[in-house]
Amino acid sequence: MGRVSPFILEAEGLSKDFGGFLAVSGVDLRVRRGTIHALIGPNGAGKTTVFNLVTKFLQPTKGRIAYNQRDITQLRPAMVARLGMVRSFQISAVFLHLTVRENIRVALQRRTGTSFHFWRRGRTLDSLNERADALIASVGLSDFTHELAANLPYGRRRAVEIATTLALEPELLLLDEPMSGLGREDIGRVSELIREVGRGHTVLMVEHNLSVVAALSDTITVMAHGQVLAEGPYAEISKNRDVRAAYLGSGHA
Amino acid sequence: MSAILDLLPPLPALFGQILIGLINGSFYAMLSLGLAVIFGLLNIVNFAHGAQYMLGGLCAYILLKYFGVGYWPALLIAPVVVGAFGVLLERLFLRPLYRLDHLYGMLLTFGVALVMEGLVRNQYGSTGNPYPEPPSLAGAWNLGFMYLPVYRAWVIIASLGVCLATWYVIERTRLGAYLRAATENPKLTRAFGINVPRMVMLTYGGGVALAALAGVMAAPIYQVTAQMGSEIIIVVFAVVVIGGMGSIIGAIVSGFVLGLVEGLTKVFYPEASTTVVFIIMAIVLLVRPAGLFGAATRTTAAGESHATAASGLRLSPPTVRNVTIALIATGVLAPWVVYPVFLMKVLCFALFACAFNLLLGYVGLLSFGHAAFYGGASYITAHAVKMWGFDPLLGILAGVLAAGILGLVFGWLAIRRQGIYFAMITLALAQMVYFSAVQAEFTHNDEGIQAVPRGHLLGLVDLGNALNMYYFVFAVFLLGFWLIHRIIDSPFGGVLKAVRENEPRAISLGYDTDHYKLVAFVLSALLSGMAGALDALVFQLASLTNVHWTMSGHAILMTILGGVGTLAGPIVGALIVAGMENYLATLGAWVTVIDGAIFIVCVMMFRRGIVGEAAVLLRKVRLKRKTEPVLAPSTKGATS
Ligand SMILES: Nc1ncnc2c1ncn2[C@@H]1O[C@H](COP(=O)(O)OP(=O)(O)OP(=O)(O)O)[C@@H](O)[C@H]1O
Ligand SMILES: [Mg+2]
Repeated sequence: MGRVSPFILEAEGLSKDFGGFLAVSGVDLRVRRGTIHALIGPNGAGKTTVFNLVTKFLQPTKGRIAYNQRDITQLRPAMVARLGMVRSFQISAVFLHLTVRENIRVALQRRTGTSFHFWRRGRTLDSLNERADALIASVGLSDFTHELAANLPYGRRRAVEIATTLALEPELLLLDEPMSGLGREDIGRVSELIREVGRGHTVLMVEHNLSVVAALSDTITVMAHGQVLAEGPYAEISKNRDVRAAYLGSGHA
Repeated sequence: MSAILDLLPPLPALFGQILIGLINGSFYAMLSLGLAVIFGLLNIVNFAHGAQYMLGGLCAYILLKYFGVGYWPALLIAPVVVGAFGVLLERLFLRPLYRLDHLYGMLLTFGVALVMEGLVRNQYGSTGNPYPEPPSLAGAWNLGFMYLPVYRAWVIIASLGVCLATWYVIERTRLGAYLRAATENPKLTRAFGINVPRMVMLTYGGGVALAALAGVMAAPIYQVTAQMGSEIIIVVFAVVVIGGMGSIIGAIVSGFVLGLVEGLTKVFYPEASTTVVFIIMAIVLLVRPAGLFGAATRTTAAGESHATAASGLRLSPPTVRNVTIALIATGVLAPWVVYPVFLMKVLCFALFACAFNLLLGYVGLLSFGHAAFYGGASYITAHAVKMWGFDPLLGILAGVLAAGILGLVFGWLAIRRQGIYFAMITLALAQMVYFSAVQAEFTHNDEGIQAVPRGHLLGLVDLGNALNMYYFVFAVFLLGFWLIHRIIDSPFGGVLKAVRENEPRAISLGYDTDHYKLVAFVLSALLSGMAGALDALVFQLASLTNVHWTMSGHAILMTILGGVGTLAGPIVGALIVAGMENYLATLGAWVTVIDGAIFIVCVMMFRRGIVGEAAVLLRKVRLKRKTEPVLAPSTKGATS
């Protein structure tokens, strides 16, 4: 086949109808390989729904999704994840009653191919600990390896989420509002982490904090009322009239 | 031409069954309508709905017998009285549960249903109490091809009217608009000055009153019995799964249609008439999992978690070892102190509860159908040993395999739906197994398979000897217990915990969680089957008791009483439940009342169960001791 497309994710004409309510309608979204791409828009714009659609947690009513030029429109969500597109969730993506290391191990374990082995001792997975601890160190959580995720503050839970996602060695990370609920200090830390991750991976993130978006992202797609309003780098987007009207105007600028 | 006519039953019989079908359908429709209304606003499955229907009938019966108040006033008084009782129930018991997992509401109302059924059985026995037709509706019309009893015609027309009126109120009036708004967005509705909690309370009362009204209408047709509610409610659950709970019209239509289908089945293939609704449910689950009228289900993408009350509890390896040693020591010595047959019953129940706990405690799946595996295995083992001359080990193996196959079918169907639907589907499927057992020949109906030989273990050890049998049962129990522990500790168990904690996240890590749930379900069924197979050998009997829904209730009761998600909890629970059955048997239906009361207490204030609460207490004491002398740095979680 011809040359590799510069886009890792290409969605065309995505629509989602919730019993008569069009939450997403006719969205085209293309994410360039190796970039940090932000998806912004006011509350209820349909950003999370787009995430749910491209990761196949929801079946689109219309449209086509290609990941690495492979049509994934009919795949199951777990299969999409196994292909290397891994998402986090707006609310929480940690296993609260597992320790930090166990959280990471759940992700590492999948590749071992023993996940259905109910007759084996759990200890057989101890060989994963080294890799798990390295990942934990890479997000600065070494002091909390044996802490339950439930006992960590939000910022550190975000770091656990990201380390867990990285454990899968994904190509594309989807982060839904990674800064929500974080204090200023944590925002700095998690931003740094995302920038770091962005060096080796493609990142698509939904985020309301515009200074974070401005600082991190290469491309921004703005959504409102289920549709794409504009797309481009921050400088361009921030000048766009429609965007200002729909989004920046409402106090964020 | 005439050949086809020969196949048809005589017309009067056909119309007679259609009529009975429509009558049943009327009650299905009214009950599933009430369930749907309650579910829509409160988000709980009202398990007590059947009992409240029964109370309606009972209320009419009491009014007539003790106060001389007839049918027509009762039609008004009974729903008001029972509805008021529902309002009280909502205010005192259900309201505190709304912030918890929906399953707790179901468990609570299950307990309430048990209490009510038990109390009524105590007072009025389990035989029917006849209730006369109102004189104004006595007699029948001759329609030429059949006689149509006036009362039955009235029931069909009246219930259709009630259903349509309810539909109208909800879909077309302002009150209904408020209701629907409160369902969609309680906060916003409150902002408009509407008292949402009061609306919720009245809605529950209304749904309950509807059930009571159906009960009054049913009294002249079916007689009033304590168990009339639990018999119908399971079918109604199946109706609700078929119709989809989101839709009022769906509930009405599927109620009438399924009643009709049931009636027709009685004409053309009577053997299937008790199971046909469940079979239709299974087919609907295969082709349209959301139900015929159900909208596409909401995703769990929000990160909804099924974590049960005890999921934060952890045991250190030494604790596990100590528990195990204590268990073995107790088990070895016990038959010298306590009657071995009782101990064997405890062990069967304990293994059953442990197997159930594997599912509820470690995957977060609440099955209401485990009796099918326990009872199913006990039938197969009994039959294999008695009729085919299987050796006891092979007999047990046969039972276990049968339970596994059932588990595969149940799981395959039920895992398509989540939460309360999962519970309702497993309950309905188990009821289908129950009715099959009533019908099948090899189960010998009410008598059961009796005089099951225990045989010789490996041709050597005579299991007829009580002590030999006891140690054999104990060994099998230990094997099962060890297996469960191994499953929980395995790489597979690790994924299960992740699924329980946060299923969408587990999916996003690439796990097809449905497959993991299915394997867990089958494992749990196999182990439950092991317990049931032992039961058949211990008591040398396989009977309907073991496949009845009360046995599924036992599994749940033992587990939540002892402590969901704890290692030893189900054993403690089994000891208590088996003890109650054994030593309180003379109290009759009071045992059911106590069972129900335990459910209520556990759900309201004791969600960790005995072992769970004890463990938390112990940890607090230890933590205090550890942290007091030294100036403690940050306390290190619950891990050790
Ligand atoms: N499963 C669902 N069923 C029905 N409607 C839904 C569902 N999920 C989302 N919606 C609706 O679709 C619209 C878009 O929701 P979405 O969560 O995608 O918005 P968002 O852009 O992520 O908003 P936010 O910034 O608040 O997270 C909203 O009006 C929401 O109520
Ligand atoms: Mg969102």
